[in-house]
Amino acid sequence: MSLPAEEIAAIRANIASRKTRDLIFTSIGVLCLALALATIAALFVDMAITGWDRFRPGFFTDFPSRKAVQAGILSAWVGSLAVMIVTAVVAIPLGVAAGIWLEEYAPKHWITDVIEININNLAGVPSIIYGLLALGLFVYTFGLGQSVQTAGLTLALLILPVVIVSTREAIRSIPQMIREAAYGLGATKWQTVKDHIVPYSLPGILTGIILGLSRAIGETAPIITIGALTFIAFLPPSPITDTAPFLNFEWLKAPFTVMPIQIFNWTSRPDSAFHQNAAAAGAVLVAMTLAMNALAIWLRYRLRKNIKW
Amino acid sequence: MNTPKLPPTPTKIKAETKNFNFYYGDFHALKNINIQLGENQVTALIGPSGCGKSTLLRSFNRMHDLYAGNRYEGELILHPDDTNLVDPRVDPIEVRMRLSMVFQKPNPFPKSIYENVIYGQRVRGVTKRSVLDDKVEEALTNAALWDEVKHRLHDMAFALSGGQQQRLCIARALATDPEVLLFDEPTSALDPIATASIEELIDELKKKVTILIVTHNMQQAARVSDYTAYMYLGEMIEFGVTDEIFIKPKDKRTEDYITGRFG
Amino acid sequence: MNEHLSTQFDTELDDLRALLTRMGGLVEEQVRTATLALAEGDAELVERVVARDAEVDQFEIEIDNICNHVIARRQPTAIDLRVVMSVSKTVTDLERIGDEAKKIAKASGKIIERHSRTPCPQVLAVRHMGEQCAAMLHEVLNAFVRMDSDAALQIVRRDKEIDQSFRSITRELVTYMMEDPRTISNSLDIIFSVKSLERIGDHCKNIAKDVIFIVKGRDVRHLKLDELEQEAASK
Repeated sequence: MSLPAEEIAAIRANIASRKTRDLIFTSIGVLCLALALATIAALFVDMAITGWDRFRPGFFTDFPSRKAVQAGILSAWVGSLAVMIVTAVVAIPLGVAAGIWLEEYAPKHWITDVIEININNLAGVPSIIYGLLALGLFVYTFGLGQSVQTAGLTLALLILPVVIVSTREAIRSIPQMIREAAYGLGATKWQTVKDHIVPYSLPGILTGIILGLSRAIGETAPIITIGALTFIAFLPPSPITDTAPFLNFEWLKAPFTVMPIQIFNWTSRPDSAFHQNAAAAGAVLVAMTLAMNALAIWLRYRLRKNIKW
Repeated sequence: MNTPKLPPTPTKIKAETKNFNFYYGDFHALKNINIQLGENQVTALIGPSGCGKSTLLRSFNRMHDLYAGNRYEGELILHPDDTNLVDPRVDPIEVRMRLSMVFQKPNPFPKSIYENVIYGQRVRGVTKRSVLDDKVEEALTNAALWDEVKHRLHDMAFALSGGQQQRLCIARALATDPEVLLFDEPTSALDPIATASIEELIDELKKKVTILIVTHNMQQAARVSDYTAYMYLGEMIEFGVTDEIFIKPKDKRTEDYITGRFG
Repeated sequence: MNEHLSTQFDTELDDLRALLTRMGGLVEEQVRTATLALAEGDAELVERVVARDAEVDQFEIEIDNICNHVIARRQPTAIDLRVVMSVSKTVTDLERIGDEAKKIAKASGKIIERHSRTPCPQVLAVRHMGEQCAAMLHEVLNAFVRMDSDAALQIVRRDKEIDQSFRSITRELVTYMMEDPRTISNSLDIIFSVKSLERIGDHCKNIAKDVIFIVKGRDVRHLKLDELEQEAASK
């Protein structure tokens, strides 16, 4: 069978018109992406330029000061680091274990359905609510004080849903036939989880953890609620001591500040010289978050290299 | 006069079902199945999609226990100790340690070739290096893969071709010294040459182990099996010597299916 | 020929060839014995040929069974398909040859029963023709086993010699019958027998053409000899 010339021409015209639409959508997509990226870049560049004068070695090693030029972010970044350590130590084991239990062990009935819906909803609860909860529970009920440990626990609660959900997603991406292969060889549930489920979902889990932590590091509202100090001219006690047992957990109980609070504090000063400090600290914070995201991407790429399905 | 090896001589029965029924929740998936697996023979299950052939195969190593709402009824006996494999008092782990399965698509673990093969031994708590080394060589040799991989046992399993991966999965199943080897459409994801080599391997393996194979390719059943069962809508329509099924089936429905006249 | 990935398939094809060779050997012996019985007037040989025909039939059934089995279970293609199809046809030819041998034996039996000690005047010619047929059968089976289309072509040509022997023996017998009407019964039986031998030659020719079909993949039945030679010479 052969088509007449006019029909062939019609087919070509049809293809051309459909491809035009393809092109239009591609252009819109690229435009939207460019807009979003440009906004972030502009924000970051603006902050970096505004705070440029403040970038000196002392900015990272000096405590806050009444003089804008001498003020640094030492107590803020050390505080952030300490809080993040507590958050990670609490949220990772809890979140990962909960995710594994929900995916691999939980019986499928209405109770687990309710739990599942709740976890998904928790991820969307405004962070200030977590702050209120923490204030009531950790500060007043448990008497943990307005300290590093309270802040760490609060942020751990905040990112727990993220860790759980990403753990479950990572586990769910493991093909069922891998589980069947393990069970088929006579493995128990725990052997299957330990030898297969956890190792193969690790890239996804790690990504979730890092994204959760990078959200936590920028949180302000719940930290303010539980009462972080805005002006701290000392560091928490060192966790390592020179006398036995060489470890000291006093730092957990220390009052603290964190990067976002420091920024908030500087921006609310009337002296505009401090606004420059705020911009510089903001640039540092954004850089930290971006670095954490980059780490997540790199880890995922590295760990996934050997896993193909 | 020499008799060509046409119908396989009936031998000892290794496993059999007696009035076996299976339910996915309310759905009655297998209806009164009676089948005998001859020791060291290949029995093939054929039939259209959804006829229950895979369901029957997966009953043999209690794979259905992994999912809620499934129920077995009747008996599935493993000889010579007459264990009823689907008895709730029998631990599915015991069943899976005695019957091994090879799946539809090659599903090696994302680990090294070596670790894949010995996982069954690891599960059993075997840690002695020399024992594991011997096991790896034996299983890979029996799966006709040793010569191809002996110099790269610690490479990732995914580096192998599809056919090699499936032979690796066979080696992994063999390394647990199973009494029965279950194949669930083992070549459906493979090219014709890899398929032919797996079929030839099955023919070798039956000297050592009893084999039950599900295949949607009835020519494959004709090529590899000694006995063939035709299943349709959860029932076993006909079960007999493969030559008889393919040359003169007794049931009209079997004949229609194997001659491609199936509705 | 290279081996198949499936060693089972190879074994089955080997079995087929081996059985066919053995059947061919038996049939060849039947032809020789029958001709000898005719030439010598040996009643014992007659009985032996008649008795062993059942063995030939048994071979036919057995080989056909294997052919069925191979077609149903191995789905042979290309050269394998041609081999199986040709084996199946060759078996029929061999069985017919066996039947012809039996006919010759029975004709000899009748001659022996008549107690006419008038010796067959064409003994030597009949023996020679029987020898020709048996040799032809032997060679065509060799050609089959070796897949030798050139040898097969030679056999097709040799059928002419057999036809010639047949015509000359018949002509002589006709003269003989005209001279002495008492020899008519025996002569007719001898004519039927040499006709059988001539048919055996035809069956050998069929088998030879099957060999050419296997090797060249072309159906050469019903071709004239010169066309056939062209076909066989082509690649």
